Amino acid sequence: MKFVGIVGTNTEDSYNRVLLNFMARHFKKTIDIEVLDINDIPMFNQSNDQTNSEPIQYLNKKITSADGVIIATPEYNHSIPAALQSVIEWLSFRIHPFDGKPVTIVGASYDVQGSSRAQLHLRQVLDAPGVNATVMPGNEFLLGEVHKAFDEKENIKDSKTVEFLESNVKKFVRFVNVINRTESSKDLEDMSDSEDLYATGAIDTTIKDVDMSADDWVEQAAEKVGAVEGDAYVKLDRGVLTVNQLNHFLKSMPMELTYADSNNQFLYYNRMYEAEDMLASRSPNQVGSPLANCHPERTYTGVAWVIQQLRTGKQDRVTVRVPTHGPDKFVVHNYQAIRDEDGNYLGINEYVQDIQPIIDWYLKQTGQELTGGNVDAGSGATDNVDAGSGATTQG
Amino acid sequence: MKRFIGIVGTNSDNSTNRMLLKFIQKHFKEKVAIEICEIKDLPIFNKPKDQKAPEEVQRIANKIVEADGVIISTPEYNHSIPAILKCAFEWFTFTTRPFVDKPVMITGASYGTLGSSRAQIHLRQILDSPEVKARIMPSSEFLLGHSLQAFDENGNLKDENKINELNEIMDEFVQFVDITNQLVGSTYSRNKDINYFSWRDK
Repeated sequence: MKFVGIVGTNTEDSYNRVLLNFMARHFKKTIDIEVLDINDIPMFNQSNDQTNSEPIQYLNKKITSADGVIIATPEYNHSIPAALQSVIEWLSFRIHPFDGKPVTIVGASYDVQGSSRAQLHLRQVLDAPGVNATVMPGNEFLLGEVHKAFDEKENIKDSKTVEFLESNVKKFVRFVNVINRTESSKDLEDMSDSEDLYATGAIDTTIKDVDMSADDWVEQAAEKVGAVEGDAYVKLDRGVLTVNQLNHFLKSMPMELTYADSNNQFLYYNRMYEAEDMLASRSPNQVGSPLANCHPERTYTGVAWVIQQLRTGKQDRVTVRVPTHGPDKFVVHNYQAIRDEDGNYLGINEYVQDIQPIIDWYLKQTGQELTGGNVDAGSGATDNVDAGSGATTQG
Repeated sequence: MKRFIGIVGTNSDNSTNRMLLKFIQKHFKEKVAIEICEIKDLPIFNKPKDQKAPEEVQRIANKIVEADGVIISTPEYNHSIPAILKCAFEWFTFTTRPFVDKPVMITGASYGTLGSSRAQIHLRQILDSPEVKARIMPSSEFLLGHSLQAFDENGNLKDENKINELNEIMDEFVQFVDITNQLVGSTYSRNKDINYFSWRDK
């Protein structure tokens, strides 16, 4: 899990920077905290838009790609520093990297308050619709009398304080896992219109004037374009194979492969087994169909969401575990974007695989065992259903 | 005649808060003298080690010290006041602290319906901190919503009710200035070491 830690002041010497650096060191075995300064960010001015300047874009990219954000703020005049306020104004004006981003707040101060009032203001600012961060409720880490708090190596001296910080960070990691799943959830809104799942359009390679839903679409389409087959040679990058060789090669892959093009038409699968024996069942007469015809209607929004992730480049691969195969299998559906040399989206390679034998083999070869461990600290990809079941055997 | 400073709480070129202060200045010119003051060119506050204010800050601070009262007009950014206004207070409190015991009235304008209501609450809290130690007029607010449509071509407020509201609040403020000055005396040292406060860092 990757966090950024924002130092909420632009002063040269800041205990809030010391605090974030301590957190980065202390938690480095479980999470990655990159500490970012805001010294180079200019004062916000809506009449002088500098959104595209390098320092603002740098922060924008770092926050956008982080799983969560930790902000460390001092307190000036019972509020947060203007420098931090200015950063948040830039990041809520033309661009909105905080939108939906899990954020937690910490703060240090010279007096006993530990930036208590500033933290309340910061919560309210982050909660404004233009910023729309998802600030973790409940947690409060107030480091008062900070000039006495660190030893000469800049570690927090008091073990109770460290323990409390650990419990807060642990909670935040759990919070981030939950929030990021909610934010990317396909169930929240009807996205089915964002993709032409009925393949009503056409791309250069679409075979026209053949009924996409015909049971013998493959035969009709092949005839229409004069497709080669059998012992005809095909030149590939890099090699030459006959169509038969190519077929057998693809069928020997240790996974079920499916090709759907960028027009959302199902064009191919490497028929290894009959439908009932497959991990994700396909039947020969389905080939050629629009994706809408291959999925139940309730899943359209999820299908559209996955395609959108790949088409827009937000993700190159969407991975989903399908847990309905029982405890002996760990079946993973991967939706991999297919792109040409220029990065243009060509379609989806869906490869479906039971990775349980691979894990078992790996453990046997290396003499290792899986232990329960800290499931919270796992990556964002870890699904709810994974926790404690399936692959995890208590050591 | 009392002399007030009106602070435009934003660095934006187009500001209905600036328009509002200009209207207030014009509308009350028989009653009080208001000088409008911009903070738009202040450098970003960075807590200099020598605690010296840049010239621009000192110039405004001197004006505030000499004035009988201050009117601050703020827009609302992200439920709070703009960074530039916050920045002004950081400079002031870190250097010569001109707001100590100074009577202050808050106004605000916004494009939407709410008229900078949340920003005004933050501003009150900031002014009320012991570092700033301003004397804010209690139990009053002036919120100008839909500010883009609020003025005519001569820069006058169109809504009679709003003008009446302003008349009342200005009467109150003039009175408040008198009372405050009797109340506070001059016992508090403006030059008290800022390091007394929480925001000393390292």
